[in-house]
Amino acid sequence: MTMIVLGAGLFFGSPFLALLHSFAAADGFGALLNPQILLVVGTSSVPALMATGLAAVVGIALGYHFTFRKKAGGRWLKTFFSLPLVLPPSAAGYMLLLAFGRYGLIGAPLYQTFSLQIMFTTTALVLAQFFVITPLMMQAASSAFQQVPESLVKASHSLGADEYTTFVKVLLPLSRPVLVAGVITAFARAIGEFGATMMVAGRLKTIPIMIYVKAMGGDAGVADGLSLLLVLLSFLVLFLVNFLGEKR
Amino acid sequence: MALVLEDVSLQIDRNPILEQISFRLPIGQVLVVLGNSGAGKSKLLEVIAGLLKNQSGRIIYGGRDLSALSPQERKIGFVFQDYALFPNLTTEENILFGLQARQAPAREQAKWLKVVTTELKIDHLLKRFPAELSGGQQQRVALARCMVLRPEVLLLDEPLSALDAASRERLALLMKKIQKKYRVTMLYVTHDHNEARFMGDQVLLVDQGRVVQMGSPEEIFSRPVSRFVAHFTATRNILPGRIRERCGDGQALVEVSGAQLLSTSFPVRGEDVWVCIRPEHFSFVEASSEKSDENLISGYRIAQIIPQSGATVLVELMNRRERLMVFASNRRVEDQGLFVDNEVDIVVAASHVHCLPRQPEDIYCRPE
Repeated sequence: MTMIVLGAGLFFGSPFLALLHSFAAADGFGALLNPQILLVVGTSSVPALMATGLAAVVGIALGYHFTFRKKAGGRWLKTFFSLPLVLPPSAAGYMLLLAFGRYGLIGAPLYQTFSLQIMFTTTALVLAQFFVITPLMMQAASSAFQQVPESLVKASHSLGADEYTTFVKVLLPLSRPVLVAGVITAFARAIGEFGATMMVAGRLKTIPIMIYVKAMGGDAGVADGLSLLLVLLSFLVLFLVNFLGEKR
Repeated sequence: MALVLEDVSLQIDRNPILEQISFRLPIGQVLVVLGNSGAGKSKLLEVIAGLLKNQSGRIIYGGRDLSALSPQERKIGFVFQDYALFPNLTTEENILFGLQARQAPAREQAKWLKVVTTELKIDHLLKRFPAELSGGQQQRVALARCMVLRPEVLLLDEPLSALDAASRERLALLMKKIQKKYRVTMLYVTHDHNEARFMGDQVLLVDQGRVVQMGSPEEIFSRPVSRFVAHFTATRNILPGRIRERCGDGQALVEVSGAQLLSTSFPVRGEDVWVCIRPEHFSFVEASSEKSDENLISGYRIAQIIPQSGATVLVELMNRRERLMVFASNRRVEDQGLFVDNEVDIVVAASHVHCLPRQPEDIYCRPE
């Protein structure tokens, strides 16, 4: 047992050690201050924030629907909405291209009627990330609502509150910590999303795409700096989520 | 004016939960719903409140059919077993929740908050959260939260089950007082038969989603319609007997455990019966002071004296064939010098000897 733990520690620790070592050697800190890189952080954060906002609204609505309005076929529908969780992101991106590309199922009429192009714009990044993180948000919302005792919802209804009032005054406040944890996790997932984003990004560069490009091109400094940034962000997210979990 | 249920049935995922429940409860009365857990008592309340939708049957209050109305449109209060207070709201916010949901004017809110919290003696707890209240206080808040809405019907799901004995007694008295004062029609779910006797104008006994018996507490407890009801109401002495003679004056002579007893409550046909006698209906006598209108039973010796709550004991009597359970007051036991192994005589009135038809295949069940 101890051997396994030690071995695992060595294995999981080594990439972090290697990153720190490379970061120090290649002046990752200097590379991070490069205005071009700061721009990448910007182009990454804005769509991630927008995708998170959108996913929060839609995910909470879906979670509510599947928790409280159990209908025939609900389980199939929920499975369908969870699909992006396990779908390879590159496949998800490719499918989005097929749907929203200039010659796509929905993209073509949009382009022909309004000359609207979605692919390879910031909107495309938002769509790709939204596609990947909404199921995550839906699951967080479902489990958040499920841990609110059923009798509280019934009490609210019996006291004359309609569905909306019950949602705003009972469900939302009581599931807030879990929902906030869900939103934070979804944001981290969005900003780190690579596969689907890559397929629809065109020449736009998000942090993970930049890491890939620079690492393959041998520019270790930028790759190190950005990687470290994401590691720190992940760390912060886990810390916050645990903190919210304890608060509950 | 009454609350009427007509053939109300409920299925959940195709499982029958309630089957053709019908009853009529005059307005302002208390109906105690008795039954084992899982019998469908809570579900019955939820159907009446509109929280569950019955597939068939009608629920009528004061001539108005409630079946199609949402819970918000029915003027029905619901006190949950776990109180269901909103943990994120203070006592005051909990109590005002319903009035605010109905957008009642602030003056009305303030007025009823004061009236109800004074009545229930919780006006000093307004700024506290549920987690800072004792069980009894939480229960009062839950009651207040319903009462501010002045419901026509109040449904209580085992409201005292989570409380200690002292609070239970206090709250039972308080609820009875409030019910009388506001003449609110009440359905009160419990599995405690003492509570049922104390609270109920009527008692409804439910088993496996069906009504088994409905009547006054006296009727249910003294004249159960089946062995299940007799057992459930703690009749304790359920003995196999045979009707020897129907005397024609409303009395029958029944033989039980070697003794001949007169009974005024017996089936019209059939000889084999279960003889039900409640332990509180026996009394101990000196052999000489036999009263003519009461059945005398002798030849039993005291096997055990078991202290009960209050100033009573449960005396277990044995003869060669049977065991009888008899309640007596502590005082009686001391005065008459009743000890284990003493031989005693007991009497029971003919009106308290209740005979139920017994099928030949019924298995004889010993009292406890």
